[in-house]
Amino acid sequence: MKRGLVIALALVLFAVLVPGVFAQKITVWCWDPNFNGYSMKQAALVYNKTHPNVQIDIVDVAQDIEAKISAGLQAGGAGLPDIALFQDFRIEQFLHDYPDGFVDLKAAGVDYSKFAAYKVGPMTVGSHIYGIPFDTGSTGLWLRTDYMKQAGLNPDSYAGKKMKWAEVVNLGVTIKAKTGQPLLSYQSDNFDMLRIVVQSTGGQFFKPDGSLNLRSDAFKKSLALFKELNDKGLLYPVVGWSDWINSINSDKAAGFLNAIWMVGTVKSRPENAGKYMIVPTPLIEGVSGAANASNNGGSSWYVFASSPNKAAAVDFLKSVWATATPDTLAFYNTILKGAGAMGTFLPSQAGSNYTAKDEFFYKSQPVYKDFAGWMANVPVLKYTPNYQPMRDAVAHAMLKYFQGQIATVDDTIAAAEAEYKQVMGQ
Amino acid sequence: MALRGTYERYLNRFGWFCVAPSVLFFGVFLAYPILSSLYYVTRRWKGATNTFIGLGNFVRMAHDSIFLQALGHNFIFMAIQVPIMIFLALLLAVLLNQGIRSFRGAMRLAIFLPSVTSLVVVSVLFRALLQENGLFNNLMIGSHLISAPIGWLNNSFWAKVTIMLAITWRWTGYNMVFFLVGLQSLDSQIFEAAEVDGASRARQFFSITVPLLVPIILFSAVTSTSGTMQLIEEPNILTFQGGPANGTMTAALYIYRQAFFVNFDFGYSTAMSYVVVLIAGILAFIQIRLLGGERATR
Repeated sequence: MKRGLVIALALVLFAVLVPGVFAQKITVWCWDPNFNGYSMKQAALVYNKTHPNVQIDIVDVAQDIEAKISAGLQAGGAGLPDIALFQDFRIEQFLHDYPDGFVDLKAAGVDYSKFAAYKVGPMTVGSHIYGIPFDTGSTGLWLRTDYMKQAGLNPDSYAGKKMKWAEVVNLGVTIKAKTGQPLLSYQSDNFDMLRIVVQSTGGQFFKPDGSLNLRSDAFKKSLALFKELNDKGLLYPVVGWSDWINSINSDKAAGFLNAIWMVGTVKSRPENAGKYMIVPTPLIEGVSGAANASNNGGSSWYVFASSPNKAAAVDFLKSVWATATPDTLAFYNTILKGAGAMGTFLPSQAGSNYTAKDEFFYKSQPVYKDFAGWMANVPVLKYTPNYQPMRDAVAHAMLKYFQGQIATVDDTIAAAEAEYKQVMGQ
Repeated sequence: MALRGTYERYLNRFGWFCVAPSVLFFGVFLAYPILSSLYYVTRRWKGATNTFIGLGNFVRMAHDSIFLQALGHNFIFMAIQVPIMIFLALLLAVLLNQGIRSFRGAMRLAIFLPSVTSLVVVSVLFRALLQENGLFNNLMIGSHLISAPIGWLNNSFWAKVTIMLAITWRWTGYNMVFFLVGLQSLDSQIFEAAEVDGASRARQFFSITVPLLVPIILFSAVTSTSGTMQLIEEPNILTFQGGPANGTMTAALYIYRQAFFVNFDFGYSTAMSYVVVLIAGILAFIQIRLLGGERATR
């Protein structure tokens, strides 16, 4: 009787422990189940074909992912996953402040000549390279053709048109007058849209020595443009990311200015089918180096040095995300159409979806081909480790300018500089 | 004699055994952090590295207008919201205790429910209601109370009102429960005597109920005040990172952002926490003195 019990217990223990010993588990943190979470899931499927005993857990950490990671790094890696996704504009700060926190993937044999060079910049410190580049944030102006038609405009005459901002303002005024819809859904506390405009001019927020560079002509012209959009009622202001997504999917405006990765969000609402048209990012006039192209967002995968499954995590990222095989190329092709995730692994860009028409968009626009084409012209933006405080300070000053608490562009810049210095303790 | 000593020693050992877990947790989660904060506070922290700067963090704080402004917001919230909330809670408690006879249980539940609802849910709800063309603005425009939509979340003044509305909505019911318990412990004879003497309901409320509930009002005031000093979730989620443009930034949220988000500066955050704790302590002391706490706590 007793022996029977012992055997039963041993069997249970065996059943519980054995998979833990032989199978490996890799945990990944990212923040959007329809986008990067979806892409990672597809990658896991590819990897499991050849490594069925590796379990890849994808955790959606939507709230405060960076705070959780910095707490974990501060605690020497306690509570951290094996792999996490970082915004490109955030990673320099983490690499700078936690120099031993991440695994050098160049040393692990990743061939970075196969990735878009602008993605590799922020993840490079000296001779070390730490990340696996994920997606591009090539931008465009997303317009609702149904509102354009309601306003008596012919969308076809705008298709593919490289507009100047003055034309866009006119378009917005017409739509607003005829339909009452503001032109753009706009996150009023957020920096992203301003960044898109400034980057399209080739402007930089920091000087090469790392100090603030907000007094450029490009920046001043961009601020003035935003004030004009605001004062003419062409912006529908919301607070916070989720409200912004909601405003887009509940017809609060006739469009928005953002990147290719919005494809997944727009497609998540069937009523949007056939309505959206995406035209090149508008151009700021009178700034040399300006282009009808820009970038917003974009993120990359990193392995924590504290991870007990480092080797497995690196092998997974390397063999799916950074090696060209028929399976991995098919994977990159899948996530492009499935979620609008345009990888930056150069061999993948010959995939069939890169040129395919997408019937979800107005007149089946080949949106991926368009975004990829604009991508080639995007001026490169340097982030530096202090991008986040700059981003907040500028967004705050701009909001005050919109609301009349600050009167001029110059005062707005001064206010942003002052807040940046306060937060940085300079 | 010897026996008794052994027994006492046994009792002693048993006593220590019983308190050991709480002493351990106190040590690990309270004493150790407090002691180590003495080290943190003298340093400028930056992720994995840090340097000794003595009292530099306090000097920096004195010049940090964002922190001072954030403390100011804490005081605004406290001075306006806490008295309103306590008065409302008291009023609701009296109404529930005497006035409303039917559905009392359901009413109590409805009023208490907000304080046990997840803040994320509350924020989603409030933000849907308070959007530029959300229900609040639409109703008020529809009934011609206002002509243009109010920027509940966008405008620095109205965002503060929003925060106060949200905290009041969330915590009034919680405080009301304490007042209800207090009311039920009052002797009904006092009220009957007042009734006989011809005192009105309002007179009874201000001359009998309120004075007798002072200990509970004091408790509510102290916990609400220190709660307001620690206010972090509402401005972080509801008005989004203390927005608009730091318009609802509170001391606790700024501390959190300096430590975990913007700068990874745990030294500066510790120094600011010291100041907040000190202020909360002084305020509690003043309140206890003002409301005659010594008598009340006896």
